[in-house]
Amino acid sequence: MVDPANTPLGKMLLEEITPVVMVLCTPLVEESCLKNGLSFIQMLSPFSNFTNIDVPVRTASDQPYRLQKFKLRLFYASDIRQPNLEAAKKRLKEVITQAGEKDFSEMSSDPAEVRDLLSRPESEIIPTWFQFFNKELVRTLSFSDHEAFDHPVACLLVVSSKDEEPINRFVDLFNTNKLPSLLNDGAMDPKILKHYLLVHDNQDSDSEKATKLLTEMKNTFGPNDCQLLCINSSQDGQIHHQENPWAPFKSDALPSNNIGCFLNIDDLNEIKDLMQELSSKHIIPYMEQKIRILNQQVSATRKGFKNQIKNLWWRKGKEDALDSPDGPVYTFSSVESQIRILGDFAFMLRDYELALSNYRLISTDYKLDKAWKRYAGVQEMMGLTYFLLDQSRKEAEYCMENAFNTYIKLGPAGQQNAIRCGLWWVEMLKTRDQVKEAATVYFRICSEDPLHSAVMLEQASFCYLLSKPPMLHKYGFHLVLSGDHYKKCDQIKHAIRTYRNAVSVYKGTTWSLIKDHVYFHIGQWYAFLGMYDIAVSHMLEVLASSHQSKKTQELFLRDFLQTVQKSGKTFEVLKLQLPVINSSSIKVIFEDHRTYASAAAASVRERIWRSLEEDMVPSLSTARTNWLELQSKLIPKKYKESNICVAGEAIKVGIEFKNPLHIPISISSVSLICKLSPNPEERNSDENSSNLELPNEENETSTSSRYVCVVFVIYMHTNIFNSLNNYLCLYVYLACISACVNVVYARIFNFLQVQLTVTPMAEGILKIVGVKWKLSSSVVGFYNFESSSVNKKVAKGRRKAKHPPGDNLKFIVIKSLPKLEGRIHSLPEKTYTGDLRHLVLQLSNQSKVPVKNLKMKISNPRFLYAGNQRELNVEFPACLEKKTNAEQGGGHTNNNKMLQNLFVFPEDISVKEETSLSWPLWFRAAIPGNISLYITIYYEMEDVSNIMKYRTLRMHYNLQVLPSLDVSFELSPCPSRLQDFLLRMDVVNKTSSECFQVHQLSSVGRQWEISLLQPVNSILPSQSLFAGQALSCFFMLKDRRKSSTSEDSILSPSLLQSDVTLGRQGNNEALFDVSCSPLADFHSFERMQQGMSDQGVENKTDFIFISQLVKGNTDSGAPSTPLLFSHHACRCSLSRMSPVSWLIDGPQTIEHDFAASLCEVKLKMTISNSSDSVASVRVNTFDSPSNGIQSSDAAGTQTGVSSENQSGWFDIPAVNDMKVITTDALATRLAKSLSMESVSQFIWSGSSSTKVELQPRSTAEIPLQICVFAPGIYNLSNYTLNWNLISTKDEENQGEADKSSGVCQGYPYYLTLLQSS
Amino acid sequence: MIVCVAVVGHQNNPLYIQSFTDADDALKLHHIVHCSLDVVDERVNNPKRSGPTLNETFLGLLYPTENYKVYGYLTNTKVKFILVTTDLDVRDVDVRNFFKRFHAAYADAVSNPFHMPGKKITSRTFAERVSTIVKSFGFSSAG
Repeated sequence: MVDPANTPLGKMLLEEITPVVMVLCTPLVEESCLKNGLSFIQMLSPFSNFTNIDVPVRTASDQPYRLQKFKLRLFYASDIRQPNLEAAKKRLKEVITQAGEKDFSEMSSDPAEVRDLLSRPESEIIPTWFQFFNKELVRTLSFSDHEAFDHPVACLLVVSSKDEEPINRFVDLFNTNKLPSLLNDGAMDPKILKHYLLVHDNQDSDSEKATKLLTEMKNTFGPNDCQLLCINSSQDGQIHHQENPWAPFKSDALPSNNIGCFLNIDDLNEIKDLMQELSSKHIIPYMEQKIRILNQQVSATRKGFKNQIKNLWWRKGKEDALDSPDGPVYTFSSVESQIRILGDFAFMLRDYELALSNYRLISTDYKLDKAWKRYAGVQEMMGLTYFLLDQSRKEAEYCMENAFNTYIKLGPAGQQNAIRCGLWWVEMLKTRDQVKEAATVYFRICSEDPLHSAVMLEQASFCYLLSKPPMLHKYGFHLVLSGDHYKKCDQIKHAIRTYRNAVSVYKGTTWSLIKDHVYFHIGQWYAFLGMYDIAVSHMLEVLASSHQSKKTQELFLRDFLQTVQKSGKTFEVLKLQLPVINSSSIKVIFEDHRTYASAAAASVRERIWRSLEEDMVPSLSTARTNWLELQSKLIPKKYKESNICVAGEAIKVGIEFKNPLHIPISISSVSLICKLSPNPEERNSDENSSNLELPNEENETSTSSRYVCVVFVIYMHTNIFNSLNNYLCLYVYLACISACVNVVYARIFNFLQVQLTVTPMAEGILKIVGVKWKLSSSVVGFYNFESSSVNKKVAKGRRKAKHPPGDNLKFIVIKSLPKLEGRIHSLPEKTYTGDLRHLVLQLSNQSKVPVKNLKMKISNPRFLYAGNQRELNVEFPACLEKKTNAEQGGGHTNNNKMLQNLFVFPEDISVKEETSLSWPLWFRAAIPGNISLYITIYYEMEDVSNIMKYRTLRMHYNLQVLPSLDVSFELSPCPSRLQDFLLRMDVVNKTSSECFQVHQLSSVGRQWEISLLQPVNSILPSQSLFAGQALSCFFMLKDRRKSSTSEDSILSPSLLQSDVTLGRQGNNEALFDVSCSPLADFHSFERMQQGMSDQGVENKTDFIFISQLVKGNTDSGAPSTPLLFSHHACRCSLSRMSPVSWLIDGPQTIEHDFAASLCEVKLKMTISNSSDSVASVRVNTFDSPSNGIQSSDAAGTQTGVSSENQSGWFDIPAVNDMKVITTDALATRLAKSLSMESVSQFIWSGSSSTKVELQPRSTAEIPLQICVFAPGIYNLSNYTLNWNLISTKDEENQGEADKSSGVCQGYPYYLTLLQSS
Repeated sequence: MIVCVAVVGHQNNPLYIQSFTDADDALKLHHIVHCSLDVVDERVNNPKRSGPTLNETFLGLLYPTENYKVYGYLTNTKVKFILVTTDLDVRDVDVRNFFKRFHAAYADAVSNPFHMPGKKITSRTFAERVSTIVKSFGFSSAG
């Protein structure tokens, strides 16, 4: 522990609590002194502070000690009074203001980081003026009546030698009227040490008169108490003091070289001696003496047991008498005051033990008397004494706290004292490294006076900063509090300073509410001071505060804009947060060899295009030999990885602005900052690549204005705006002039997508540097792409992975190339399934160079494929109509080529310069849903000398296909005819409003003949299917191929009825030819989609259902002609169970004379095998009592079941060997079981079991015979057909292989036999 | 009455701060909460010697300001809960109970798979739950 006297507090106490000398002087003395620019006291002050006085002191104890440091405080009598509080405050305010000005001008531009701050020494952190302020604050409390250390110990009476009757003047000076009130009203002992000083100005006359006067004085006042001081010995006033001793005492700004100009070294020595003598010979002995006297008195009255009892009793009695709020009034002669004086004198002479014992003594007295202020004062002194004794820290602190609390309790009267006490306490705590506690004391000092509070809070904050570990949160908080207080007192510079310090705490944290508050107020205050630049920079921090309420945001923005306006200039801010640019949203769209027909196409992922173009564009391995090699020659290595763009073609940069606020902001003049530098190869002759950057920089302005032209396009997310229910106004001015001066006004909400376009007009290297915009037409914001984003998304960066991101914004501009522009006319955006259209693709070449070798690939040929050139101008849908006898070979022959989706334009087709090429396309909406169509067209330049040999044009369309008609088919065999089938068609209109007209149903291929079973008129008179309506229609389908083979007759193709019109009968509407180009092609695509192979079509048929929509709600390209819809159903298979079918053929009615003989009827059974394998069929006949009509079915069923059971499970050999017996047995059994009286009226004759082998797809005939015994109607169904598919050659049809055998019941076949007459 | 509750992350970043006063004193309460973090740090770094408080999550009264009492709570993941109340005679049991329930609510909120650790808690359910807890705190201390 250091010596307490050497601590800041100790030094302060040694300076402040020192004997006071009252100075009384005549005006002439002052006059003489003022020649030096000094008052009398100022002149003496430097010499009243002794560091090595070395005076022996003996106080109450007998042990003398030596005093080294000593100080006298000199005051004019007029100043010895309690300072005027208002004046003191004013003075303090001045101090603060001055400090504020000084600190503010010294403040560095950036507030230091907290960590940096902590690493600095303490003295650098804490502003120095605090010390000064604290001292001034303490001084406002001097000459309080409850303390004795400010009481003058001695009185210095000074008279000039020029004065008339100096002796009388001396007497006059110590006139009671002029003495301070403190001495007059009894608080101080007026009988004090008097010292008489005669001041002689050497300039006026010789010192003879003065010495004469001095002897006169000595006679009058005593020889020891009189002295002569000669000043102004220098005649010319040119004395310059190397070390001006007055400088620290003369703070007022005066020309310092004049100070003491008439005082030569002799004068100074004389003053020094005077003061030395005054203190050592007069004041200190006087104080010693006084201490001893007082001590004796105190001992006599108060020390000892008897006196204490007496005192207690006496005080008790006094308590009742006096009850003033301040406690009793003590005069200097009262015992209490005497003790206090004794204590203070002892303190001043550093006899702390004595002082402490007296303070203790008096403190209990004051406490008993309830003289709280005095009590507190004594406690305060006790605390300080403890501190200086360095004894009990706890005691010291306790005393200080006690004093502080007592002062506080006194209310306003004790406030100032409390502050002083607090300051001393704080110093005490600081000395003992209890910085945190010191901070709380500072906090407690805060009074009503906001200015003082502000300073105290600021000091408290520094305490928190310096505490170990630093309490930064509290540091920040107290700084903010302090700043608020400063602001209240209009100390804006201080407020800014504190807030700026606080910024270092809150910077980088997420306590945004506090942070915004701090930044905003700093900004506001700077603006108040007129320092708009700094104000704006601070306000920028809070602009994008999305978390704040709408009101606050409005306030922030309004204030910001006001500040900007006041500053009167346009700010250019590198990182303006308003609006926010979504760096990941930056999209650069440029065209090298890949060109895009629309923005939509450009936004499609590169992967999709590449997979589409895979086998169309020259692959890298082949290309390397030609254009890449060429490229590597042309382009310097440094820029090899840059992107390539073509002069005259625009580069689009899509940027997304986001408004983080709840309030609208307006931005305008959005523009790209670009740099176009001449191609390096031109200046590459010196081979110095590092030189490249320099000329670019120089040429920046000129090139950009000469070659670059910027066009703005703005897209809005309207749906977002709508959802926000906000209004939106947008003014777009498009400008396309050679210099890039463009204006776009946009008042934005939430999101704004801007597409900026830059079009390089000359070859060179183009660099997109950043974007620039204007906020509220006053602040220009910049956004530098390269510096601010790490992962920029360059949509078309093909070699993206290898790139450093910044390079994606660098382009090599090559000379202009031909570029095809393409569009498909009248491609609907929204349509219904099945919509069939004829479209035209138009490719136009704006450049001077023709292109050739065109190829096209379409992603989805089900929807779109290229037609034939001669189909370009056909009339649709008339071209689809069937032409009588016309050749039918319109379809594409090269199916394979089409399947690859690649369409190669004929060799001779090229797009000449400034012309356009039209090409037909067929479109059909195949399936419902949202469909993306990708079309890419490859072309080559005729001019081979270029870097790029080919380019591709990419087109992208989105379609919305709605469901229209739902067509389903069901095919079932016709029971009566072997080659005929019944077809049921169900059509449901799935649309909500459309009305379709049914037109035609066609089966694909030649082998089917289709006919209506009933006219459509009867089921659908209007031929129109309204929304939601369903239609079922029946058709007869004939397998003409089989019939033709069997009948061996050839029908002319025109007569083939593979189409059936569903329209009005007799209407002359032509049928559409399903076998010609678009329909057949689309059908084959459908087939491909629905199945794998074309094989195995025997039982499967394809149908095309065609309907028309006369007036559609869809946005059709050609509204006048009806829309044609085709629905394709592939592979409708028979819903028949077995692959074997048969028919019994024979007479229906026979007349026979049963009287003559029984009737034999010959029948023929035709069995057909429709499967792909050999079928073994066995026909079992059995006689059953099929009497009449009714029971035969039941019998048949029963027998069927039983025979199956038998043959399947029990007696297979028996059945095989003894069929007749079995059947007979069965028959008899059955006959018995059914009815005995009904005897079978016919029997099968001939073999009862016939087995045939049927080759695949063949028929066989089996003769059958029955014998009928009586006339009647017979149902010849009592037979079964067991079939068994023997060897399936190929296992591909697993479904059919599963049911490789089966049993079929006979069909009812009615035979009528009549008795012939 | 509880005027403010706050959740502060382990890097002293505010995760949730909600005042329950009608007055516009959000800034003040933010400051109070922010300031109390120093005290939390202090408590954590200089724990009391006694055994049972070794793993105590409840930090007790952090500091009394003129009008408020500030209580703290520290979870195992170094997330701090701060409670600012205007009640002058608050029983420790009540505060402990409050923090226990608050902790449960917080744990549920951050268990939400959509919650980003270290980001502000935006769950409305959490806010509702907290306000219920806060309301019930008022009742229990009153009754």
